[in-house]
Amino acid sequence: MSADERIPQQAAGADPVRVYVSQLAAALDGCDPALRHDALVDAEVHLRAAIEAGTPAERAIGAYGTPAEVAHAYRESSGSGVVVSEGASLRPLPQPPGAPPDADARHGLAAIPVIGVWAQSAAWGALLYFGGIGLALALFYFSFAVSFGTLAIGLMPTVLGLPLLVLLLASVRGLSLFEGKVVEFFLRVRMPRRAQPVAGLAQVGFWKRIGCWLRDVRSWMSLGYLVGNLPVSIVFFTVTFTLFCVSVSLLATPVFYALGLSMFRNPGDSDFELQLFGTLLSGPDGDGTLSGLAVVPLFILGLALMTGTLWVARGFGWVYGRVVQAIQVARPQ
Amino acid sequence: MPMPPDLPNKIERDLSVGTAWLVVLATIAGADEPIHGYEIGRRLADEAPEGLSFKQGTLYPMLRTMEADGLIRSTLVPSNEGPARKCFTLTADGKRVLGSWVATWRNTNRWVNKVLGEIDVRR
Repeated sequence: MSADERIPQQAAGADPVRVYVSQLAAALDGCDPALRHDALVDAEVHLRAAIEAGTPAERAIGAYGTPAEVAHAYRESSGSGVVVSEGASLRPLPQPPGAPPDADARHGLAAIPVIGVWAQSAAWGALLYFGGIGLALALFYFSFAVSFGTLAIGLMPTVLGLPLLVLLLASVRGLSLFEGKVVEFFLRVRMPRRAQPVAGLAQVGFWKRIGCWLRDVRSWMSLGYLVGNLPVSIVFFTVTFTLFCVSVSLLATPVFYALGLSMFRNPGDSDFELQLFGTLLSGPDGDGTLSGLAVVPLFILGLALMTGTLWVARGFGWVYGRVVQAIQVARPQ
Repeated sequence: MPMPPDLPNKIERDLSVGTAWLVVLATIAGADEPIHGYEIGRRLADEAPEGLSFKQGTLYPMLRTMEADGLIRSTLVPSNEGPARKCFTLTADGKRVLGSWVATWRNTNRWVNKVLGEIDVRR
């Protein structure tokens, strides 16, 4: 057994579970933050349960495995579970079907540079999310948090104020976790599978419970996120939806031309002409229809703009997903 | 050519890869009610034969993969001793897969025992 594989020795007086969890965190350095978070929550909940059941902390930690062994199992995402002898490494296993979506192994069409974005589910998911779903959810979260929050603050001088505030913090934690699942589905950024328990809730006294919720930084982070999410979502929605609409209208030019439909609005009674770099795009009748010459360049422009729109949505999704993930995996010190 | 130093552990290592999933599924199937990760780990550690130790920390990623594969499903069960616990039961697919794995294991076991017979490796 090498030095780094040994069960960690705890400093006198230190919480052995906390020491073990911090060493596991170090062993999981470089892992996906959500996977790391899950591993730490699994370890903490398991070890606290074992200790509650009467197992001495050192024995519980020994049975759980060294940080290196456990980290290896999480990295492989499918540990065999059995360690034959101390120090024997487990055989790497193939990536399981439940692997984090963030791995986003691209092959086939999705691997083609630039235009491969058309075949990436994360790009279409981001377009759908930022093009409407995200804004609708952000409006709901904002309305809920602000109306519930003002009610709680308004009732603070009464006996109802504090419990309502705690209820609000618990609700926004739940909403934040729900938002994490939505973001994972659409933006393909892995979110934690497990919520970290609020420290101290095992002491079930009412006032202690309230104190735990109020002290937990993640409650306030979730509240801030749900309120601050609205302006961000409005910006993302405006950019994404505008780009998408312009792209779709340009891509639809062949259909408009084939059906003889008016593509441009005639601004008045006078004849209407639309030119691009000296080329007449509008038809000869001045009624807003397209000229045949305009169809091909406008369609190509639509393709390029839609490709750009997908990249923009994908970029928004990457940034936004990382922010949501960081909030979800935050661990209070 | 010298023997690789890790070779004596090869059979245990290779066997462990397949059997861990089998014993975890069997433990969940054998429980009377939804069973949580800590209890699965405890039972397996108690049953582990001499020379094999079940590292309970490696159980959770396995359970997560099984759930993603549709072999088990989880529910959160409130606990008086702390946070709600994630408890597991087999799905219909899980039962079918376990049945097929048990048959495979029994056939393999019979075959290996037959081939090994009463060999004396010291001869």
